[in-house]
Amino acid sequence: MKTWPMWAAGTIALVAVFHTLTVFGLPYGIMNRAMAGIASQAGGVNKPVYPDRPSAEARGIVRPSPDLLYTACVYDVSARPVKLTSPVPDTYWSLSTFASNTDNFFVVNDRQVKTDRIEIILASSEEAGSNKGIPVIVAPSSKGIVLFRSLVPSEDLRAEIDTKRRQANCEPL
Amino acid sequence: MKLALKLVAVVIVALIIGAGSALLFIRGAGLGGDVAVGPWQTSLVIGSSQADPYTRAQIAVAGLLALNRAETVYFTASHDDAGDKLRSDCTYKMAGSDPPARWWSVTLYGADHYLVPNPLDRYSYGGDTVAREADGSFVIVVGPEETNGNWIPTGGRTGDTFSLTLRLYNPEPEAARDPSGVVLPHIAKEACRT
Repeated sequence: MKTWPMWAAGTIALVAVFHTLTVFGLPYGIMNRAMAGIASQAGGVNKPVYPDRPSAEARGIVRPSPDLLYTACVYDVSARPVKLTSPVPDTYWSLSTFASNTDNFFVVNDRQVKTDRIEIILASSEEAGSNKGIPVIVAPSSKGIVLFRSLVPSEDLRAEIDTKRRQANCEPL
Repeated sequence: MKLALKLVAVVIVALIIGAGSALLFIRGAGLGGDVAVGPWQTSLVIGSSQADPYTRAQIAVAGLLALNRAETVYFTASHDDAGDKLRSDCTYKMAGSDPPARWWSVTLYGADHYLVPNPLDRYSYGGDTVAREADGSFVIVVGPEETNGNWIPTGGRTGDTFSLTLRLYNPEPEAARDPSGVVLPHIAKEACRT
């Protein structure tokens, strides 16, 4: 009996399996690598890192914007909620959160925050994060990335905006 | 023993073809998308939980930590108006006017998706930094040779390609809803070294 049709069918099925696993797994793998890089620079999870202005030497995250100053941290809400705080400048600013599969599950910008300071709690559930009326964002994955973007519209304002963005923080509640 | 060897060979071949084809497709697609405006492309589901697995993988490779389009619309061009690939040894004229957003910027990236080294550390122009024509429009020269006025260096290495990303931060609601209707800069090739 000829067995090559069975081998061919098995190979095609396995090709489909590996193809699918790669497509689904790649975002997690790339996010894991990015999270490891940020946590390594920050000295752990739930701690912020304040990179310099992106330049040609920057190799952390692809396609960075040189017009922004980024502040990043890896959140881990598996044990405790994480409190995110930052002053909110007058120029464009945003706080965004990314799940372990790369989805941008929350973003807020300076125009949406009506005050000059923001406090947000990131938690695994509404109940876990409820605390003194501070807004709670439920994270769809226990680990992910928090990114603060601060626009530097001109070099004259760089020092002032840099000082302000260094007050952004991520810390366990 | 012979059967075991055959099985191992099948798994290895399937792994190479399966994973390889996925990586080739994902990397080859770059940051293209389902919406095109001249040479510019964007995806309606960047950063969104509605992104299909292929789009999510493409964004992870070429645009990790991108925001959803209500916050920022990202247009990327890797070709000029004529459909030719953007080459580092060619000079292009990018001409346009302010897109409908609170703030915008255009940034040049190498084929590896990182900023291209140049002596001026110049990688981008934004709505606040670009020099304008008398009517408020702008012209940005993108090429290997420094020029007067707005200039983004390409690096100039023969054989290298690059892409441009136009970011629209806080786009007007209509632009976020339907990016295909946004008027974007033209990218016209002027000359090439080779």
